[in-house]
Amino acid sequence: MPSTQTPPLAGTAIDPPSLRPPIDDAVIERVEPSALRERLSALKAEGYTMLLDLGAVDYPERTPRFDVVYHLLKMPARAASVSEVGKPARTRLLCAVDGANPRLPSVMDLWSSADWAEREVFDLFGIIFEGHRDLRRIQLPYDWEGHPLRKDYPTRGAARERSPRPAFANKMNVQAGTPPSGRTLEALQEQIKRAREADSK
Amino acid sequence: MSMSTQPLTPEIVSQEGNAMVLSMGPQHPSTHGVLQIMLEIEGESVVKAEPEIGYLHTGIEKTAESLFWSQAQTVIERMDYLAPSSNALCYALAVEKLLGVTDRIPERAQIVRVLLMELTRIASHCVWLGTHGIDLGAISVFFYCFDLRENVLDMQEATGGARMHPNYVRVGGLNGDLPDGYANRLDAFIEKFPGRMRELRGLLQANPIFQDRTIDVGILPIEEALKWNVTGPSLRGSGIAYDVRKAFPYCGYETYDFDVPTRTEGDAYARFLVRLDEMEQSHRIIRQARERLEKPGSVLLDDPKIVAPPKETIALSMEALIHHFKIVSEGFRVPPGDVYQSVESPRGELGYYIVSNGENRPYRVRTRPPSMYNLQALKGIAPGNLIADLVVMIGSLDPVFGEVDR
Repeated sequence: MPSTQTPPLAGTAIDPPSLRPPIDDAVIERVEPSALRERLSALKAEGYTMLLDLGAVDYPERTPRFDVVYHLLKMPARAASVSEVGKPARTRLLCAVDGANPRLPSVMDLWSSADWAEREVFDLFGIIFEGHRDLRRIQLPYDWEGHPLRKDYPTRGAARERSPRPAFANKMNVQAGTPPSGRTLEALQEQIKRAREADSK
Repeated sequence: MSMSTQPLTPEIVSQEGNAMVLSMGPQHPSTHGVLQIMLEIEGESVVKAEPEIGYLHTGIEKTAESLFWSQAQTVIERMDYLAPSSNALCYALAVEKLLGVTDRIPERAQIVRVLLMELTRIASHCVWLGTHGIDLGAISVFFYCFDLRENVLDMQEATGGARMHPNYVRVGGLNGDLPDGYANRLDAFIEKFPGRMRELRGLLQANPIFQDRTIDVGILPIEEALKWNVTGPSLRGSGIAYDVRKAFPYCGYETYDFDVPTRTEGDAYARFLVRLDEMEQSHRIIRQARERLEKPGSVLLDDPKIVAPPKETIALSMEALIHHFKIVSEGFRVPPGDVYQSVESPRGELGYYIVSNGENRPYRVRTRPPSMYNLQALKGIAPGNLIADLVVMIGSLDPVFGEVDR
């Protein structure tokens, strides 16, 4: 039954969504990764024309570790006035994803807007969306290591230890050719190599 | 996208006959920030446009996780730097919902919040209109717009001390009542606005060059808008009257009398008209809020566990001193749970999905960034248009990169 209370996840102690006070912000459902696409397709057929948002939360002490959160909006496709829009229904779908091999089916073909949202979740949480046509990093440089919004990603310490990454060689625009300053890629790489050697001494 | 190893220039990535892969930005003056667009073009027309974002990523969501609930608001306010109050308000409303104090927020605080939201909408639309004008060669509009925005910024400075990020909206209400003389400034602004608006319309609305550049350019059909999750004025320009203020009212918006302007054409000109109409509706709401401001009252929640008691009381009361110390040194705690709260920011539905684990810091703050989803629609609407029109399309979607990249 749809409710405004999140159903608790079986066998877990740490799960803030299941402890939430009664707030009337959305109808909440939990769904298994295997049933995700089926449920979302059904909701879309029901009139949920907009995938309002797609995000993730990391609970490292919990199994399964991640929650991917879908917000859907039931918007009539032709609503030319405020009264026609009325009070649209909002549904929140929580899908728990395993931490060891975080994978979920992509919903990019159902709503194009999932494209960047899924890329962002992949970039910042490392969850792989199977079937996404162009799953690359979106916010961070493509050679970044680690997924910063995971709880175990350190926020303190030397920058190089956090993300061992050269200053800017190997970035796509440099690799693609001569940088505007006229220096060649080799010269840049040489310079970075020297800087790193000096650092390690 | 085919990419040869040796580009011809830094901008032209590859070329075969008439087809070319061109990199526009990230420092292009008309991309409104740091946006790079990889364009596949055939002669002058766009075959495929792939915006590349992330140049302004500052990790605000991650930073917020290591700050107190009240401190996090400071960084969150910096997401959409053209409408800081809408970010702060949305976050405050979400936290208040988790705390269960939504019904106890003083009425005067809600009135001032509405007032701030609408002022910020006018200021934000002024920046959009000014820069949109510049993109199309109408330079003078910019100065009229920034003059009007200046008045709003002056008022923002009066409330919070800072012009851009006043940090005036707080969890539980506002950081103090409006200062003396604010009402006079507001009256002067209310007085000045209609005339200025007439001038702005006069400069652009019937201008044949502006019309040539915007009418039938960047058409966003309804299906496309829903598919790409476009909200705000861009969605209303395509004919759907979805406005969070009407659909999910907050801060008592249901008690104000205003319309939701819509157009059905879905082109850049329609979005332009919707935003102008919206500014006038904001003016209408501001006038109503101004009348309600006559009634004095408290602007901060009376709950010492969440809001520090007034500074004057700490010399008189032991409890006040303790509460003050507790709030400053370790913040307030929020019961565990999650909540989604949205507001109508100048760009569309701005939402926060916030998770608390019962501590004094947010566990997770997920933003639903309206700019990001709106900008993504560029992939859908750009193909088939001319490169020169791409600038119009970006401008008419009004992205703010502080929010796109966060």
